[in-house]
Amino acid sequence: MKDTQKAGVFSIGLVRGLIAMLIGFLTGAAFVSLIRLILGLSVWTWNPSGNQFGFAESAWVVGAIFGAIAFMLGVGVLSDWLKWMNGQQTAEHPADAFASGWKRYLSVSFDHKAIGVQYGVTSIVVIGLAGIFALIFRTELAQPGMQLLTLERYNTIMSLHGIVMIVGILLGVGAMSNYLVPLMIGANDMAFPRLNAFAYWINVPAAVILLSSYFLGGFDTGWTGYPPLSAKAPLGMDMFFLGVYFAGLSSILGSLNVIATTIRLRAKGMHYFRMPIFVWTALATAVIGLTATQLIGLSFQMVLFERVFGMGFFAPDKGGNPILFQHLFWFYSHPAVYVFVLTGLGVISELLPVFARKPLFGYRWVALSSFGIALVGFLVWAHHMFTSGMSPYLRIPFMYSTLLVAVPTGVKFFSWVATIWEGKLSFETPMLFVLGAISIFLLGGLSGPPNATVATDLHLQDTYWIVGHFHATMFGGFVFPFFAAIYYWFPKITGRMYNEKLGKLHFFLMLPGFYIQSLSQMQAGLLGMRRRIGDYDPALGINLQQLLITIAAFVIFFSVVIAVVNLIYSARRGPIAASNPWRSRSPEFMLPSPIPQHNYEHAFEVVGEPYDYGIAGAYVSIDPDRYIAKEEEQPAAGGAVTSPTGATTD
Amino acid sequence: MSTAQSEPVKNRRVLIASSHPLFGQGLRSLLQERQTAGVEVVGMVSNLEEALQALDQLDPDLIIVDYDDKKLNRDEFLARFVEGEKKLRVVLLSLQSAQEAIVYDRRTLAAAQIDDWLEEWTFTEDSSRLAAQRGKFETIMDHRRTFMKNRLQKATHLLIAGFLVVIVTALLIFGMDYIRLLPTAASAQAEPIDQLFHLEFKVIAFLFSLIVVFMLYSIIVFRRKRGDTTDAEHIEGSTNLEVAWTVAPLATVLVFAYLGGSALAATVAPAPKPLRVEVIGKQWNWSFVYPDYGVISDKLYLPVDKQAVLLLRSDDVIHSFWVPEFRVKQDALPGGQDFVRELRVTPTQLGEFKVRCAELCGAQHTYMESPVLVVAQTDFDAWLTKEAGLSDDPVERGQKWSTTFGCASCHSIDGTKIVGPSWKDLCEGQATLADGSVIPVDENYLRESILNPNAKIVQGFAAGIMPQQFIDPVSKKPITDQQISDIIAYMNSICR
Repeated sequence: MKDTQKAGVFSIGLVRGLIAMLIGFLTGAAFVSLIRLILGLSVWTWNPSGNQFGFAESAWVVGAIFGAIAFMLGVGVLSDWLKWMNGQQTAEHPADAFASGWKRYLSVSFDHKAIGVQYGVTSIVVIGLAGIFALIFRTELAQPGMQLLTLERYNTIMSLHGIVMIVGILLGVGAMSNYLVPLMIGANDMAFPRLNAFAYWINVPAAVILLSSYFLGGFDTGWTGYPPLSAKAPLGMDMFFLGVYFAGLSSILGSLNVIATTIRLRAKGMHYFRMPIFVWTALATAVIGLTATQLIGLSFQMVLFERVFGMGFFAPDKGGNPILFQHLFWFYSHPAVYVFVLTGLGVISELLPVFARKPLFGYRWVALSSFGIALVGFLVWAHHMFTSGMSPYLRIPFMYSTLLVAVPTGVKFFSWVATIWEGKLSFETPMLFVLGAISIFLLGGLSGPPNATVATDLHLQDTYWIVGHFHATMFGGFVFPFFAAIYYWFPKITGRMYNEKLGKLHFFLMLPGFYIQSLSQMQAGLLGMRRRIGDYDPALGINLQQLLITIAAFVIFFSVVIAVVNLIYSARRGPIAASNPWRSRSPEFMLPSPIPQHNYEHAFEVVGEPYDYGIAGAYVSIDPDRYIAKEEEQPAAGGAVTSPTGATTD
Repeated sequence: MSTAQSEPVKNRRVLIASSHPLFGQGLRSLLQERQTAGVEVVGMVSNLEEALQALDQLDPDLIIVDYDDKKLNRDEFLARFVEGEKKLRVVLLSLQSAQEAIVYDRRTLAAAQIDDWLEEWTFTEDSSRLAAQRGKFETIMDHRRTFMKNRLQKATHLLIAGFLVVIVTALLIFGMDYIRLLPTAASAQAEPIDQLFHLEFKVIAFLFSLIVVFMLYSIIVFRRKRGDTTDAEHIEGSTNLEVAWTVAPLATVLVFAYLGGSALAATVAPAPKPLRVEVIGKQWNWSFVYPDYGVISDKLYLPVDKQAVLLLRSDDVIHSFWVPEFRVKQDALPGGQDFVRELRVTPTQLGEFKVRCAELCGAQHTYMESPVLVVAQTDFDAWLTKEAGLSDDPVERGQKWSTTFGCASCHSIDGTKIVGPSWKDLCEGQATLADGSVIPVDENYLRESILNPNAKIVQGFAAGIMPQQFIDPVSKKPITDQQISDIIAYMNSICR
């Protein structure tokens, strides 16, 4: 093993990065403290209850920024760029520090599949953490009165649940795009491998900074961080802003990469309308991520400047306007919802034809509907602000634009149903999650219009109905499809098969758990339960619903634990997987499992449609002369995806 | 063609014949991945002799032969196949042509089975050549029959599913009547909103049923049969359908947008001469000012069936005014006059409700709730008179001023020490000051203590806490002599 030659924990990129981050933080904090010392300002105060945590606020902020940069240096993502600056040459595609093993994933790798796995594992860890936050405050909410937490702790944990989940979802979206897009379009890597690694690794300091907010007084604003409340919040607020800022940077750079890859690296013959449908959604997602994320970064940066430099963008007493923040914030944060769900919807569209043995109904319509959703998504942000006190007349146009989202979304639903109608359905775990996702996303979608029609939204705004609504869209649009994707591509990633029984157990616990949770949330909200409160009035008559939500939350968490155990165990001990266990036509299933390091040794040409189940003919073909000469070790795969043995088994 | 289904579960034994070892290996892993249980590769042979030997020894059900392999004498092999009687299948596979395989199937049929088999065999697509021999006319009739049968089948599926959608929708709508979905509607504004709600719930029930019933129907009816590895019919899509389900939702949402707009208009429609109430949120309580009557209160009193215009603002962060029974909601913004927002409410039901802050506003956000009392007009007038300090009784007026000016938040009337001395202590008739001197409590002392609080400090209390000047929060004028007299009268009344 080559690994043993580089023994020691310091050979692991993550370890080096974290140490560098600490040094960077101290350097930055010391730098600001020195300036403060020269100016005669206080440098060190320790009084946690009074929101004083040693260094001054400005020192913490600069320290965190220095820390993030130092992490990137320490982990080694910047090495090649620094070499270029010095006029040095590097390899076209840089080699990984470790060729294989778990250390590979804890160090910088430039292989899009390794980065995809890094994104995915980080996503599950981060989502699990956010889930634990949810369990803590759900336990508090199981009955009226305060039993477990103080109101301040409740606010911090509830806010962290929101933003940590969002970061986790963004990581999950990154995992799917990174792993699948190059494979599906016949590329051997992303267009910019170094940028890809950078975009992943910046998430680590982002997560560390974000979570540090818990120990720095927390923040009590929810993930929306509305000023003036956020301008007055404890030090944790700054860490929240910086954490989201860096995670947003990752989103922008990752999106850039996906767009460039899709435009430039498609295989011969792969026109846009011949791409597997997932690529369309990944592309639409990337367009949103590239163009909208700046706004949330900007809005948080402006509040940060209010706090650190005393500026007054949103402070009325300094001539600012608190509503302006909400416009900037939601201009990103609404399209962001589609960043979370579009790739998930892509997974649904991608898997349905495989398990129904029937072409995707209305491929072009489904493909374009993703862009329809993305475009309309940019015109609807103010529907989060119907009661905010913006100009009243603005509510009407935003109501119309918001309701328009139903049109492209409807196209997807109807096309999905038409795809499985008269199909030949089989129900392996991925398919179960896909079907579950459709029904849940349907619930989320249908609970949307009452929020869009302004009159009813006057009642629903800031209630648990909204909580139920967006949990349904997130579960249906991300969580279920994400698990479907993990189970579906698991054999391609690990070369082994997951345990089908545990997979089904996971599904049959999660689906009813979710329905009970979401429907109870909606009912509680209609009856008067507000969002983001640590205690509620028993007079509302929602005690039972609250208890049910809590129980359901634990069931969902338990089911995810089963999934994680299944995945970890199967990755090491599961049965060896075949190259194409689902009889998919998608090009990545032509490759052996696990996929070799540089994907396609021979470029292929696309000669057919991606979902032509039911008629003969291949989707992609590899030049037979070159193929047979070099690839004798894989005779069974043949030139075409439909293998001859397919016809022989009874 | 799956006669295997009726047989007892037994592993089907497969023999692979090829001199090319990779052919066998690849095929073997392919068979294993297919996961159809009960396939067992019993042997792999590389020449004819071995194959013939294996035929006797291993007793396979299926032999897969490499079509391209010159080392296997295919003709002789097939001759042996024709001679045999035992049930056996042979498949000839070629690597060169990836599409087709040749299948030889040898089995013995009972007399009764032969008819079935013939019928099944005649109607399969593969046998079109034989059908042609039976005459062109029959073929056409056959095709037409299957076509009609298919169409009928398709229509039946659609019809049944459509029928189920209607039933499920009806059940859902019927069931929703038995679930508590909305709190009592206690305002005129709630009426158009609830109408829209109920319409939307019905449409949601329909659309949910539409998709879910079709899905469940597919899951149950169109599930793959065991062992069936064929694909479904190749249907790519239908532009007509896509256009239909683009236009229909578009029309629906436009209708709802229109309805939403009219309902909104109904909720903001002004009535003549509404009651004006300033609602001020601050961390973490509400106060309510009736500017036309000079009244401030920590409870929101509203006369029934009269529109109130709530003028909302905040002293610190963003709050949101929401009484669930009134349905309507509006944020209260900091920033002074430019940021005052209005909300119209016409209570229609007597009773006590609660205004609940709906925008996260810090630690105590949860408990930022204040009572809302909807009373009859006469009761409201009586309350206003009392609260406005218009009562004839100076004690009642004094009690009112003690809350208006915030006295009560520092001075208790039951002897409890809050920030300042309790007014109950005044009943002793004398007070011990910080320097130890004892002075009598009289009207002059009390008046001085209100106007110039730091002149005489009672022992055990700090100076500089009480405001130097009291401003009436409603009229914005300094406290008057009359008001001070009223407060003193109230103080005296405590001792009685």
